[in-house]
Amino acid sequence: MTDKIISVYWFAILIIVAGGIIAMVSLFYNSPYDVREVEAGILTNKIGDCFSDVGYLRQEVFDNANFLINEDNFLEKCDLNFNSTENELQYFSQVNVFRGSDLGNSFFEVVQGNKNLKADCSISKDYGKISKCFEKSFFTLDKSGNLYLIKILSVIDKSEKNVK
Amino acid sequence: MLNKKAQLSETMTWIVATLIIIVVLIVFIFISSSFAKVKSLTTKSLKISSEGEDVDLFKTKTELAYRLSSEENKKIIDEWRKQNA
Repeated sequence: MTDKIISVYWFAILIIVAGGIIAMVSLFYNSPYDVREVEAGILTNKIGDCFSDVGYLRQEVFDNANFLINEDNFLEKCDLNFNSTENELQYFSQVNVFRGSDLGNSFFEVVQGNKNLKADCSISKDYGKISKCFEKSFFTLDKSGNLYLIKILSVIDKSEKNVK
Repeated sequence: MLNKKAQLSETMTWIVATLIIIVVLIVFIFISSSFAKVKSLTTKSLKISSEGEDVDLFKTKTELAYRLSSEENKKIIDEWRKQNA
């Protein structure tokens, strides 16, 4: 009789342990990886490469002291695609160019994507469901040797796919 | 009487063992759920490592512009770097 009770007990313990392991694995693997920060970083790098190459502004975007890029051709010129499976636009990019020593006033600006996402950048990063922002700046030159500071801001929403 | 005592102590051992197993399982479930919350890739993984040092693509771009710049522009870049250090 005691042997039967012990075997039932072992069976119960086996079920509890197996259930615990299943719970642990499903808890860990059911939550998605949040890759938005990296995605925003890659987007910023890509835009940076689109504007400047080996220290100089690229001819495709800047010629004869004028920027050839605007809101209509930004995605095409930089070889970007902001389409996603969600209904609303999930991306936002802003490029500000400052000329010479005048780093306070933007000489040129181009904006593309969902403008509503920019507001999320001022909210604390601790809130997981808000959009991820990534901003970088770098200097570059034109062929005449004029100096430009390029500031790029990229924002990615996609919170439904990246945060549970 | 002695037989009953032995049975009681054996039962107690199983009960304590079961409780320990359940507590350990709960602790592990809690740990795995906290690991699941921090599953995110950061921009540190975008940096390329070269001879033990991280290479920032934007710092490289600025460095290139700095080397190609005139003295006047170099001063502007130096000042900007100081402000953003």
